[in-house]
Amino acid sequence: MRANAQAPAVEARGVVFAYGGRRALDGLTLEVPRGSIFGLLGPNGSGKSTFLSLVAEMRPPPEGSLRVLGEPPRRALRRRVGVVFQENSLDPLMTPREVLGLFARLYGLRKEEARDRAERLLAAVGLAERADDRIDTLSGGMRRRLEAARALLHEPDLLVLDEPTTGVDAAERQAFWALALEARERGTTVLFATNDLAEADAVCELAAFVRDGRVVACGTPAELKRGLRGETVVVDWRDPSEEELAALGALPEAGEVVRDGDTVRVSTDDASVLVPKLFALAGRRITSVQIHPTTLADAYFAHVGGRVREREGIG
Amino acid sequence: MGAVLALAVRDLRGVLRSRSQLYSSMLTPLLILLFLGTGVSHGLEPANLPAGDFTAYLVAGVVVMTSVFSSTFSSASYYRDRDTGMLRALLVTPRHPRAIVLGKSLAGVAIGSLQAMVVLALAAPFSDLGWQYGYVRGALLALGVVVALNLLLGGLAQALATRIQTMQGFHLVMNLALFPLLFFSGAFFPIRDLPVWLEGLALANPLTYAVDALHVAVYANDSSEFLGLWIDLPVIGGLAVAAYAAGLARMPRPTWSGR
Repeated sequence: MRANAQAPAVEARGVVFAYGGRRALDGLTLEVPRGSIFGLLGPNGSGKSTFLSLVAEMRPPPEGSLRVLGEPPRRALRRRVGVVFQENSLDPLMTPREVLGLFARLYGLRKEEARDRAERLLAAVGLAERADDRIDTLSGGMRRRLEAARALLHEPDLLVLDEPTTGVDAAERQAFWALALEARERGTTVLFATNDLAEADAVCELAAFVRDGRVVACGTPAELKRGLRGETVVVDWRDPSEEELAALGALPEAGEVVRDGDTVRVSTDDASVLVPKLFALAGRRITSVQIHPTTLADAYFAHVGGRVREREGIG
Repeated sequence: MGAVLALAVRDLRGVLRSRSQLYSSMLTPLLILLFLGTGVSHGLEPANLPAGDFTAYLVAGVVVMTSVFSSTFSSASYYRDRDTGMLRALLVTPRHPRAIVLGKSLAGVAIGSLQAMVVLALAAPFSDLGWQYGYVRGALLALGVVVALNLLLGGLAQALATRIQTMQGFHLVMNLALFPLLFFSGAFFPIRDLPVWLEGLALANPLTYAVDALHVAVYANDSSEFLGLWIDLPVIGGLAVAAYAAGLARMPRPTWSGR
């Protein structure tokens, strides 16, 4: 039993970090419970990746406090953390077996143990047949799976994933998450950053919305959606005026109204009553209307606003 | 130490798989030896050489040139690791960044020394070399000089690679710095009859001492016409230690995005 086994996997209090004069983290406070799948959601430049880099590199922040697996950041703790970066981080001249062999040495695994785990992981990620092929001959999805295998090789207590499925097709995305979820079943905490709200809604047990280097809301998806009504109407509405939006917000059927350019989102308990009133307000300037159950994306827009990629599902 | 060796083996394997890098470091010096050496020997018949013909005289220079090329190419592995994101992945492992740099630079020193000795082995049978200490002792002495030279060049390349953002910029700086040094090192002509100011420049040039030591080890019939090992070995050894330490002192620190 490790010391501080019950302490949060990651605990940040008022963390500040700046690149030159620009503050990437501005008092970020966050607690990631052990064994959870925790998503950091926010637009590009919100500070998600900077925070993950502090955790993975074990860098103490210049201001505020950071504890990882119950301890202050120090290099030896990297042995208990696995990392998958947003972009590929593999040497194209190596083979999958060589990559796992090298990193097993770097993480201090014994020879036999390293060989066993490498073989098991190569089979688990479907690369046993390609284990001795050069990486520059593998597809993008295969490389991603290899990176997942590399991150899991030393059986980390904390898995840090920075937008791990960007640019990956639906099937490969599903395969990637299956690996991460398997690790989580064994007790590994999964901390990941994404700006893919549908993916986060499908995968995470806890989420934090990050904006301008701070956490603006945090909780389970259900908690984050609380306060929003049961349905969301997404309207493409050409040039809505402030008065029209105020009139919309004043309707008894309308909840939160969020505008992002010509897209207006309204939460409601009964879209069938709200939509005719919308057309009465906007007439022919409405070009499309979508009605769907309230999602994490709606909660995100309610808390954060701004533009974030949204898809149908994680595939 | 196991991790350092694993990293060195990985880089060596990378060079062996990158054939163009493997052969080009040796091919250019051998071509210079073949064409320049043969041409000058037959066309100009230089009379001021301490021993043997011009082709034999050039052997020490092309061995040093091979090490110069090799150390420049070895830096490509640093840039490749940085650009493919591999360096970032290495730097989040529990190993100290110095172990990672050490593993990479040891591979560079090993491959550079190996290539230089292969060039010497290929050139020796076709050149009128003196081997004043005999073949075995001469070759061992040459190996020692070549390893020290590669440590020096590897340290310099490492120190520059961690400071210069692009590989193109790195190669430009290396070429600007090392080619003039090569010209005034005694690699292509003896330095003892040069004008005083040029001889002064040559004596301030670290490569001069490597070329001189190799001349003494493999080319000369006696050491009287050369600076001598008593000065070459301390200078090249001391500079090798200093340059290698400088190379290891600067730790790579790419940002999270890998740049």
